[in-house]
Parts: sequence; C-alpha cells; structure tokens
Amino acid sequence: MHEFLTGIFFWFAITVCLVGMLVRFVLYFRGLSWQLDRVAYKAHPKAGMKGAFRSIYKWLIPYGTYGWRTQPFMAAAFFGFHIGAVVVPLFLSAHNIFLENKVGFSLFTLNAGVADFLTWLAVVCAFFLILRRIVLPEVRILTTLYDYFILFIALAPFLTGLTARYHVGDYSFWLNLHIFCGELLLIAIPFTKMSHVFLFFASRAQLGMDFGIKRGGMKGTKMAW
Amino acid sequence: MFTKILFATSATKESDHAARVAFNIAGSYDAHLDIFHVPGVPSRGYSQVVVDVKTKERVDVDDDYLEWVKDEIRTYYAKYLENGLRYDITVAIGFPAREILRQAKDTEPDLILLGGSTGDEEEAVYKKSMAGTTLQKIARSAKCPVLVVNRPAASFWGGLSNITFGTDFSKASDKAFEFAMKVAKNLDCELNVFHALDITSGATGEMLSQDEIEQKIREALRMIRGRYESRLKELKHYSMDVWEGIPFIEIVKYARDIHSDLIVMAHHSKKTEKADAILGSNVEQVIVRAGCPVISVNR
Amino acid sequence: MPEGKYCNKTPVNTPEEVNFLLSDTSGNQYYKEMKNLEVDSDLLWATIQKTLKSRLRTWLEICAHCGMCADSCFLYLVNDRDPKQVPAYKIQSTLGEIIKRKGKVDNAFMRHAMEVAWAQCTCCNRCGTYCPHGIDTGIMFGYLRGLLYQQGFVPWEMKIGAGMHRAYRAQMDVTNEDFVETFEWMVEENEEEYIGLTVPVDVENADIMYTVNAREVKHYPEDLAEAAILFHAAGENWTVPSEGWEQTSLAMFAGDWAACKMQVESVYAAMEKLKPKRMIGTECGHAHRATVIEGPYWAGRENGLPPVESIHYVEWLAEALREGKLKIDPSKRIRELVTMQDSCNYVRNQGLKNATREIMSHIVEPGYFVEMSPNKEHNFCCGGGGGFNGIGLFRKQRNKGLEKKRDQILATGAKLVLAPCHNCWDAIRDLEEEFKIGIRWSFLKPIIIKMLVLPDHMKPEE
Repeated sequence: MHEFLTGIFFWFAITVCLVGMLVRFVLYFRGLSWQLDRVAYKAHPKAGMKGAFRSIYKWLIPYGTYGWRTQPFMAAAFFGFHIGAVVVPLFLSAHNIFLENKVGFSLFTLNAGVADFLTWLAVVCAFFLILRRIVLPEVRILTTLYDYFILFIALAPFLTGLTARYHVGDYSFWLNLHIFCGELLLIAIPFTKMSHVFLFFASRAQLGMDFGIKRGGMKGTKMAW
Repeated sequence: MFTKILFATSATKESDHAARVAFNIAGSYDAHLDIFHVPGVPSRGYSQVVVDVKTKERVDVDDDYLEWVKDEIRTYYAKYLENGLRYDITVAIGFPAREILRQAKDTEPDLILLGGSTGDEEEAVYKKSMAGTTLQKIARSAKCPVLVVNRPAASFWGGLSNITFGTDFSKASDKAFEFAMKVAKNLDCELNVFHALDITSGATGEMLSQDEIEQKIREALRMIRGRYESRLKELKHYSMDVWEGIPFIEIVKYARDIHSDLIVMAHHSKKTEKADAILGSNVEQVIVRAGCPVISVNR
Repeated sequence: MPEGKYCNKTPVNTPEEVNFLLSDTSGNQYYKEMKNLEVDSDLLWATIQKTLKSRLRTWLEICAHCGMCADSCFLYLVNDRDPKQVPAYKIQSTLGEIIKRKGKVDNAFMRHAMEVAWAQCTCCNRCGTYCPHGIDTGIMFGYLRGLLYQQGFVPWEMKIGAGMHRAYRAQMDVTNEDFVETFEWMVEENEEEYIGLTVPVDVENADIMYTVNAREVKHYPEDLAEAAILFHAAGENWTVPSEGWEQTSLAMFAGDWAACKMQVESVYAAMEKLKPKRMIGTECGHAHRATVIEGPYWAGRENGLPPVESIHYVEWLAEALREGKLKIDPSKRIRELVTMQDSCNYVRNQGLKNATREIMSHIVEPGYFVEMSPNKEHNFCCGGGGGFNGIGLFRKQRNKGLEKKRDQILATGAKLVLAPCHNCWDAIRDLEEEFKIGIRWSFLKPIIIKMLVLPDHMKPEE
C-alpha cells in the first residue's frame, strides 16, 4: 500500500495537479475577452500588469486591504489557516526528505517546533472558519455541503498528519491515510473549488487589470484596496 | 392693448384672484387667453411618476391623466368660459417656472399673468428642485410684462385710472417706463413716476444725515425729470415723486396713498446677495404687499 | 399568452412604440402580462454559452462563500443584515442558479431574478473591492440584467428608457432640434446678464465638445445655461454637437447592450465629425461611465478608449480652477459645513476622487468641508443608482436603500450636500423628501457661478 501511495499514485496525483493547474490557468487567460469583460487587456499591458500585481500583492498582506481590516476576526482566521496550509506542506522536513529521495532535490525546511505550531494554527483557524460558517447568518446562507467537503479535503491531511505525528494509534495506517489524503487534495485542486489556490491569482489579476486599465489606473489613480 | 395673454394658474383658490383679473383683461381687450397649468413636477428622473401639485401625491402621467387635468380646469373656470371667450387650455409636466417660460417662448404672449405664491412655499413641490421661486424665475427671464396678482385686494382690473411706476434708473426701468407709458396712454390714466431712496444701512453703509437725504432726494428728482419728463408730457396727468425709506415699503405706501390701481416696475436680475436670499428683490416684495396688481417688466 | 402586448421580448424601437408602452399606466398591464411571459430556455442557455467566459465562470466557481462581501453592501446593511441581501447569495441564487439549471428556469424564477437584479443591486461595484478573490458582483448583475432584458423580464421604466435611446438616441423624448433650440433659448435668456454668451453648435476642431443629460434639456435647462456661462467665463473654445449630444445611457441600466452600442456610437460619430480636442460631459455619473468607461467596448474599440480624450465635468472644473481660467471670489466661498457625494460611476469606477476634492479646496472655506465616512472609492452608493431611482415597482425598496446615505450625511453634520451626479442628486433630493432631515443639495455649476469672478468682458454695462 505504502509503495503504491508513494510510488505510482504519488506521480499520478502530482502530474494531475500540475498539468491540471497549468491547463486551467492557460484556459482562464485565453478565455478572457476584452470586449465581453470590457477591459482592453492587450492594448494596455503595462497598466494591466501594474494593476494586477497591486491587486494580488495587497490582498496577500494580512490586514493590507480595507476588506481585511473591516473584518479582523475573519482575516486572522483566514491568514492563520492559509499560512499553515501553504507553508507546512511545502517546507515540512519529512516532506522534503521524501522529495529528496524521490526527485533528488529539496526545499528549505522548517524546524519541528515551527512546523508543529503552524499545523496547529491551521487546524485551530480552520475550526474558527467552520464555526463562522455555522454561527454567522450571512455566511450560513451561502454555505453548502460542498463547502464543508472542500474544508474536509483541505483539513484531512492535517488531521491525519497530526495523528501520525503524535503516534496515536497505528502509525503506518495514519501515515498512509495522510499520504492518501494529501494526494487526494492534489488531485482535487484542478477540479474543485480548491482550484482557488491558483485561480485566486488569476481572478485577482483580472480585477487588478480591470482597475489598472479601465477603472482609474490609466487616469493615474490606484485603487485603494 | 393685449392680444394674447398667458395665464399660468394652479387652478385652485390660490389663483382665484389672478383668474378674476385674467378673465377680466381677456374680456375687456378681446384677447386670446392661454390657460396654462403644470399639474406635476417630475420627481423621479426618468420614471413616469410626477408629484401632483394639488394633492402632493405621486401620480403616473399618461394621456388620460393630462386629459383629466384639462377637464378639471375647464370645470373650475366654467363660469368664465361661457361667454365666447377665446381660450386654450394647455397642460405640461415639468418645473412650473421653466414650463411657463417655455410656453411663453412658444406662444409669445404679450402678457404673462400669474397668481401669487401659494403661501406654503417651503413645502410646495414647486420648490423641490429650483432655487428661488417660480415668480422670481419668470420675472427675471420673461420677455413680456408679467402681471402678478397676489393679494385678494389686488384682484381688480378695469377702469384703470392711476398707475404708479417705480424706477431705479436702470435700463430695465426704462423698458418698464415704456410699458407704463403705453398703458397710461391707452387707458388714458394718470402716471406717477416714483423713486424710493434706499436709506437702509445696507445700501448706504452708514446712517445718512437729514441734509444728505434731502440732497439725494433732490438729485433723484432731477434724474426723474431728465429721464422721463419729456415723454410724460404726452400724457394729460402725471406726477413725479421721491420718498426715502425701505424701497419696497415706500412704493407700496405711495401707491396706496395716491390710490393707484396698478404698479409697474422693472425686475432686476442684479440683486444684492442678501436681498436675493432672504427677501427677494424689491419687485417681489412689492408684489407680496401691494394692494393692486403689479406688472414686472424686464425687456 | 407567452408574449404580451406590452411585455415581450422585442425591444422598443420607435417613438410610437415608446408611446404605446407609456400608455400603460404604471406598467400595470405590462407586469400582469409578465406573469405569463414564456422563458426561452434554449436562447437563454445559448446566450450564456456564448457570453459567459472565464472571468464570470471562474467568479461563480471559486466564490468561497465566505460572506466577506456582506458588510460592503449598503442594501444588506439597511435591510437589517438580511442574509438574503448578501451579494454572493444574491448572485448565486439568480445567475448561479440559471447556469446550474442550464437555463431551464420558469417564469416565477425569472421575475424573482428581475427583482434581485434591479431592486437588490445598484451595480455600484463596492462588493468587488471587498472580495478576497476579486469577485465583482456588480459586474455579474450587469450581465444578468442583459440576460433578463433579452427575455423580456425587465422593469417597465427600464424598457422604456432603453426604448427612448433606440428611438431618440436620448434617454427622454428630446429630439436633436429640441436640444439645440433649448440650448439657444437658455443662452438667450442669459445673454443680457452674461455678455457675449453663445452656444456654438457643430463647430469643428473646437477644444471641447460638450455632451449632456437629456433631462437637463427636458426639465432643467438652466443647467445648459450654466455650462455655457462657465465655459465662456473660462474662455474655452467649445461646441455642442447637434447630433450625438446625449451622454447618458439608461440602456446600460436596462441591460440592452445593442441600444448601448447605438447610443454611444451616436456620440462617437459626433466626435469623429467635429474632431474636438476633448469631450466633456455634464455632471452625471452613469453618463460618464456609459460613454467614456464602458462605451468604447460596446462600440468595439479595441483600445478601450473613446475616439477623443473624454473627461468628466469635475476634471474640467478642477483644471479650470487650478489654472485660473475660472476665478473664485474668496469672500463668497462656502462658509457652512458642506459634504460631497462620491459617485460610484466615476469615483470607484474611474478613480476621479481627487478632482472633486480639488474643487472643494477652491470653493469651500478651509475647515468647512466634511468628508462622509466611508468616502472616495469606498463610498456607498447614493441609494438610487443603476436605475433604482426610476423604477416605480421597486420604490419601497429604493426608499429603504436611501437610509445608508441619510445616515452618512447626518453623521457629517453638514446641511449642504454637493452631488456632481444626476442620479445621486436625485436620490439625495428624494431622501430629503422621504426623511426630512433638513438638507439642501446642489450640482457644482450653480454653486460655482454664484462665487465666480466674471471676466470684465462678460459683465453687463450698468
């Protein structure tokens, strides 16, 4: 089982994820239409790039935008979760040892304490994000089962990973389950709402171009996000 | 004297005094009377809803409504319309002052006749969008004389024998004088040229001494003579007077004193800032206060 | 009866058709017929497949349902935070649902969608700036309006408005002759007071081509006179086109994209014919958006720009005051608390926040200008944008929507509100009528004329 998950299935998942993201990314930008979107993307690439960059960058900074500042609680939960969700999978030392063995290179690694902290942070923040969905009427009305499913596949690798990490129960079972959940997540990325991990940049870039080209950027005013 | 009269009316009792005068004049001179009414102010931009000026309710404008309004007016003035009067009833949607002026532009009447203020100007829908009153706007922009009948006491026209012409020596006043002359000649009545010396501190900047006042009165009288007397000689009866005080009060007092049945004045577009905001120009104040009809002439 | 006499899928194209539709008082019959209007699901779905491209598709897909847009929406806030007023919910439950069902929706659904599209969103685009994913619900509602218009599910006044543009190339029944004649009349009325006042019609190669809102011609032509006075006082070489003078587009509110194109092309044709250096529109928000910001796209201009540089009236005013073309008598500046409404259509949607503030610095005594909170690109809609002001059927909802602006104005303590936008001006007037908070409101032109130092050549001789 472990063989399969770290072997062929790993390659399958990573390929589906990367190729899927690439294809969808390309399709997204090819699907932009200057006339339907009413943004002259091609005519003003410089203004567009500037706007796109600002729009992404501003929103990546915790409390960097009016949006984040008006909802400090949400912003805290959001960044807590997303920092953990991005940093831990990429820079966990165990992941990088695996990567080193598999493909012969590895990334910078986190020390164990930081990794633990970020993992717990992500889990706790995810809990608050779920709580928010249940408690706040304006979020509850939007929430569907599908949203919980997405949260579940995003959280599953963390929960299984933590269980394995603290050697609760059968280590190799939890480890395999963890790997499987992780790979499932990779596969889900191009096909589900998880696509936001890359389409976030696409969508933000698009609105950034909109503001950069049409809505004031070329008039010399930057959108005060 | 008059061949075409535009009578702008609210078709309510507020306009009754004016109506009496309007039908009276039209009858006396066999003039064509254009009864004009603005039933509603467009309140919703491009929506079809207007605020009915009478009920202050929101109504939808369509042909039925406009026809109904015309019928109402016909019924309201039925007793005047019986005896062969030549008249039209026109109804238009818009801001009253603007629509009255538009109608005047299209029909070129030689007299516009207005009722006085409806009293509750603050609340009136008329005020909803335009600064200043309907009266102000019309008096300022109309190309023909504007006759305003405000108080019941002023609702009398006929057997005119005595006209007061108030002047401030402006170009517009010259125009008003020409008109006053025309009426006086035509109806063979007395014309009294009057100037009120403004001694309010706002006008002079300081309190004038009695000597100064009298000096200025003499100057003003000289100016009246110089400007008007040669023409006045064409008339049988005329007089010239200068009083000091608050101009509009003095004019009203003077007219009452000499039993004038018509006041003719120029409307001034140039007004002092404060007067404009608080009191309105002299002619408007005279209109509000006078016991006889007031005609404002601008051009 | 799938297609009604009044309510149907066919646009209104001629003055006669407009009048016919108008003859249905309040649209009573129109809305009755709408209850039986058939949904052409095939057409709906085909249109969606043709026009719903990656931007909108992605927006609908990746919406995280996080609800962060809720607080950005004034309609959500004034309606006691009703979850049904959350922008994401509003669009997902309408456009999202139509797509989910591949266009197979029924009449009742479409009528509901119409209410949401016109009575629960003013397309102010504020939510778009509060969404982490950059999802602009206002744009999606614009798109939805287009679909609804195509199917005939559009408020009566909007159908008429779009029809006016088709029939008259103006939002009201004002002909080209009416326009020129009214402008000339206004100049005539003021030429004694302002010496040398003229209205140059169809002058080629002028520095400025001025375009207006048909309502000015129809109901308050003083505005035309004021524009002439200010251009004249500033010594501008300006002109108005006798055709293509209407800058607004109710068709944009209606979602009638074909009419939008017709309308804006009439203005561009005037630009191309008269070859002015610049085009300046009146103090209107949506007119600027329609003709300058969105218009180039409807007209198929790939660079996204109108044929000649086109600026908003406030930009010109700011420039004229800055360069001293217009001189203000400092003793006549506004000396009372005054606030100003930022129009969504040219502030949030074209970043013109500084121009209006520059004007304020010239015409208001320092210390008397109070900002609303929030302001600039984060300002709330006046409450009547996107066609909301004009729709009788949704009057109640609109009046409720005014509460946000009322509270914002009250919080400033100012009794004078400057609103350089027709729609905002209307909404603010209506809110005074509705709530009687004792405010006055004004465009900029009349205020500036009052404090203007007239150049000597314009002063009448006394």
